Amino acid sequence: MICNRVSLVLILALASIVSARAQGADADFLESMGKMYVVLAVVLAILFGIVAFLIYLDRKLTKLENQIKEE
Amino acid sequence: MIRQSWWKILGVLLLVYTFIAGLMMPLKPGIIQVSPGSLHAGEAVELVVRGYNSSYAKAGKENMRAWLKMDDENILAASKVQVLGNRDLKVFFNLPAYLPSKDSSGSFSLILDHPADGAAVLPNAVFITQDSIDPAKAGSAWKSGRFENLSEHPGKTFPFRNILKESIRNQYFHVPLWFAMMFLFLFSLIHSIKYLRKGDPDADLRVVSLNQAGMIYGLLGVVTGALWAKHTWGAYWSWDTKQNMTAICLLIYAAYFVLRGAFQDDERKARLSAIYNIFAFAAMIPLLFVIPRMTDSLHPGAGGNPAFGGDDLDNTMRMVFYPAGVGWTLLGFWVASIVYRIRALEFKWLDR
Repeated sequence: MICNRVSLVLILALASIVSARAQGADADFLESMGKMYVVLAVVLAILFGIVAFLIYLDRKLTKLENQIKEE
Repeated sequence: MIRQSWWKILGVLLLVYTFIAGLMMPLKPGIIQVSPGSLHAGEAVELVVRGYNSSYAKAGKENMRAWLKMDDENILAASKVQVLGNRDLKVFFNLPAYLPSKDSSGSFSLILDHPADGAAVLPNAVFITQDSIDPAKAGSAWKSGRFENLSEHPGKTFPFRNILKESIRNQYFHVPLWFAMMFLFLFSLIHSIKYLRKGDPDADLRVVSLNQAGMIYGLLGVVTGALWAKHTWGAYWSWDTKQNMTAICLLIYAAYFVLRGAFQDDERKARLSAIYNIFAFAAMIPLLFVIPRMTDSLHPGAGGNPAFGGDDLDNTMRMVFYPAGVGWTLLGFWVASIVYRIRALEFKWLDR
């Protein structure tokens, strides 16, 4: 359950970084080139989200491996 | 290995296709700007037009046609068109002294047509004011335009929408996340029912895994939606009906995990959370499919319209959108299956 919360926090943190970057950067930049960079931001958000979840799974699996080894 | 994992390979291939076709197919040529934006009736005006993805020079001015349109009845043809470059045009109109309208002003769309790009529209391109109102006198002057033999753009393109432009491609990344989430939650519902009928702890593990993958997709759907909304509607969160309902839906599913954390006894935990999961799915259907259609919403498909109609999803977009939906869904089930295998290992080794 703690892991669950950790993953949620991780994902929300990454998401806020993505949106903070979008906010901090000049809005004209994201909307230049016919708003192509909005698509880039969306694709990166999905990538970060999936990578964050992979990190959570990786840590969970490592913990499990260690416990099995101890037994 | 291929026999077991074919659907994972299929999912990845479909996503590769989605990324390549969804990002590389060009947009249909469109009009991004017309200046000046406000005109006065009775004058000869010169409009500077800026195109997007257009090739005006290739078409040549003899094939170029332009109109100002108020409605289907009242269309004014341009007196002259001057091509300055592929993306720049000058269009000349002799505006009649009276508008075909009972108001002192009106907004008009600019329509361009030539064989190299096909027809393009800028809705509400110019605003025309008049001093005295007399629709009868406007008469035949506004009947000079006829849309005949409009050209089609050669080759496949995605639609050009003025507020979206290239960001229309988010249709292949934001929307399929929601579809995939619903499929994940649907399968978690099926496993919940299975658990309640047979009491198999394995089914419970599948429910948690599918819900976890579904939550990830839902959260990513909200984040990508907020980013897209910021650059289309002007704010990350506009308190739009569909935005609010998805937030409620995700909170209901988040409560599923909170509920599981509240029990020590595995059997009670599994049984009660399976019952809760059925209610959560039952709540999701009206929240996502019924309520947003009953009220006004910024999202397409709201206010009674069927979703995915007309220019929001044309046949070229469908060729990418449906494979994208299947691809993202299969990726979601892959994620859920990995979560399930880790949970099953944990269950087998640690809860003996």
